[in-house]
Amino acid sequence: MNEIMKNRMLYLIFAIILILPFVLQDVNFQHITIMFLIFAGLGEGWNIITGFTGQTSFGHAAFFGIGAYTSTIMFYKFGISPWIGMILGALFAAGISAVVSYPCFRLKGHYFAIATLAVAEIIKQLFVSWDYVEGATGISIPVKPDSFWMMQFHKSKIPYFLIAYVLFIVATLVAVAVEKNKMGYYLKAIRESHEAAEALGINTTRYKLYAMMISSAVTAVFGTLYAQYILYIDPFMVFGLDISMKIVLLTVLGGLGSVYGPIIGAAILIPLSEYTRVFLGGTGKGIDLMIYGALIVIVACFEPRGVLGLFRRTKKRGAQYAKTTA
Amino acid sequence: MRKLLVVFAVLLAFTVFAEEVIKIGAIFPLTGPAAATGVKIKYAVEVAQEIINGEHPEIELLLGKSAGLPNLNGAKIQFVFADHQANPELAMAEAERLIRNEGVVALIGCYHSSATKPASQVAEKYGIPFIAGSSSSAALTERGLQWFFRIAPHDGMETVFFFEYLKYLNQKYNANVKKVAVVYIDNEYGVHAAQMVKEKIKDYQADGFSIVADVKYPAGATNVDIEVQKIKGAKPDAIFHASYIGDMTMFVKKYKEFNVVPKVVLSYCGGYQDPQFVINLGKDADYFAGPNATTSALFKKMAILAKINEMYKAKSGVDIDGPTLEDFASAIVIAEAINLAGSTDPQKVLNVLKTGTFMAPYFVSGRIKFGPDGQNIYSASVMTQILDGIYEAVWPEQYQTKEPVPQFPDWNKR
Repeated sequence: MNEIMKNRMLYLIFAIILILPFVLQDVNFQHITIMFLIFAGLGEGWNIITGFTGQTSFGHAAFFGIGAYTSTIMFYKFGISPWIGMILGALFAAGISAVVSYPCFRLKGHYFAIATLAVAEIIKQLFVSWDYVEGATGISIPVKPDSFWMMQFHKSKIPYFLIAYVLFIVATLVAVAVEKNKMGYYLKAIRESHEAAEALGINTTRYKLYAMMISSAVTAVFGTLYAQYILYIDPFMVFGLDISMKIVLLTVLGGLGSVYGPIIGAAILIPLSEYTRVFLGGTGKGIDLMIYGALIVIVACFEPRGVLGLFRRTKKRGAQYAKTTA
Repeated sequence: MRKLLVVFAVLLAFTVFAEEVIKIGAIFPLTGPAAATGVKIKYAVEVAQEIINGEHPEIELLLGKSAGLPNLNGAKIQFVFADHQANPELAMAEAERLIRNEGVVALIGCYHSSATKPASQVAEKYGIPFIAGSSSSAALTERGLQWFFRIAPHDGMETVFFFEYLKYLNQKYNANVKKVAVVYIDNEYGVHAAQMVKEKIKDYQADGFSIVADVKYPAGATNVDIEVQKIKGAKPDAIFHASYIGDMTMFVKKYKEFNVVPKVVLSYCGGYQDPQFVINLGKDADYFAGPNATTSALFKKMAILAKINEMYKAKSGVDIDGPTLEDFASAIVIAEAINLAGSTDPQKVLNVLKTGTFMAPYFVSGRIKFGPDGQNIYSASVMTQILDGIYEAVWPEQYQTKEPVPQFPDWNKR
């Protein structure tokens, strides 16, 4: 019963998100909903390797960038549809993550986190000095008339929103599927105790690898959408630490290891950063960033399990109160 | 109830008598790694707004005398600032927001070429003029955009300027500069500048110029010993630098340590142009040279520039520098174009921008005119050289505040 209720909640969230840009037809609001969907989706992807499996990755920008660059290069150099680029980007990202993570999985805890950070920086530097992909100059994606096949829409943001929406739902359902599957229990076993999981006969390396590949493929898909949405990419922008940290931040803020976490985190962080910048950014005093930072510190100090933890605690307290008064 | 009526009446009176305000979006890096520069540019754009909206007969600009835009019944200009934090994604989002939500009729910005690219694409999409003041990547005007204009010379123009200056030194001072080394940072700015040198030198091979070293160093390098040894080994007469303030300072210290003594060092718009260069290096900064849209040594020669600087310095506490003046120019030019068009209709403003010549007495070139690709065809640069800690204008001759020194003295004889 609880499972159905939980999923019902998820469907309700999906439904609410869908009507948002149609209710408030403000272009800036629509932009914020698109960014929210992209980052919530990225959070779902990251959650699979870090939230479920307990392997902290600080380098997911690497896969985001690979997704962005694969589709962009194919479109820019050969005129191939970004949809094909998106699928290939996801496959590339999964492949590269497997090659890179395999040796890194020998490392545990902080060392794995440091290794992912370093790998992302290495990949960024490679792209900076790689002439074929225009190196540091970046690529301005050629503007084409509105077309679904070319994933470019200039008259309205709604098509971008709908694509982001579908990808977000797919990412969330992938996360749910992983969590509810046998694999999800294996991953959680690995998170709780690596040694105990091995003792139970789980091939930890193989499952960590699967988790990493799924996680990076999901991340890469959003990289393609992001590139097609901004129509410009350079290595500093898509491989930057900023992207990795934003993914980490919003998932941890929302609640690590739950499919609701990234949605809650992104729903708070993305509008917060956008609106504070819109209203206060023009002053040039950085007040928007101070407020943004202060709120994160407050949440981290008072509820390290994220906003979801806060909900759960309040619910528990409510239940206890009901018990005592009964 | 009566109070409410009074308030309502006052509000009504305000809306009836309020002058029309024309909004122009200004997107700059007001926070983030280039915040210091972004805030300086904001002050300069505010000065431009003051000149346009107030009565400043002492500043002989088209819009200086009258308050507001005379052809639009004294309508006032308001620059709406937005912050892109050096992030292209935010530049794009802010451009769209300013156009759609704030109702701006034109955009200026964004200092970083990487932010200018997506922001100007948004302007193109909505059919709104975009003027970039100081973004210098040549790629910006190679995109074939209809609504994009740029005031600063791009790195291709700067490269030609370098070779012409070297020719001048060879002819007038018998400097005998032939061998050129290119030293550049491994990012868009540096790599593109180096490409330009390799391309433009073909036109100057007849004058005897050749590239003897091509030295690329990584962004964030903490040691440049190998690079400097490579440069020393090539024995160049001239070094072209595309470096930021931190790495430029590091290179100069190493030139001294390894006793690299070229005849000329010319820097693309970057670290050399930052006044911090002289503060960091003191006497060791002397004899370095580079193009600048302006220098404080020129204030004596150009009265208008001095007056603009006075207003700017009151806000910022420092003298106006090249990139800042270029963004100031973008604010003035867009206001003049709207005034000349007599309307905020984008198509009319576009026609004025495409056909008009704008007086710019604060630049040595004196005017601004956009070519078919949107590039200002009059390069607003003077060659400056640091002599006794001051950026002196050394070329072209009519703006000379001091004669150039075409030879580095030995490092221990400074």
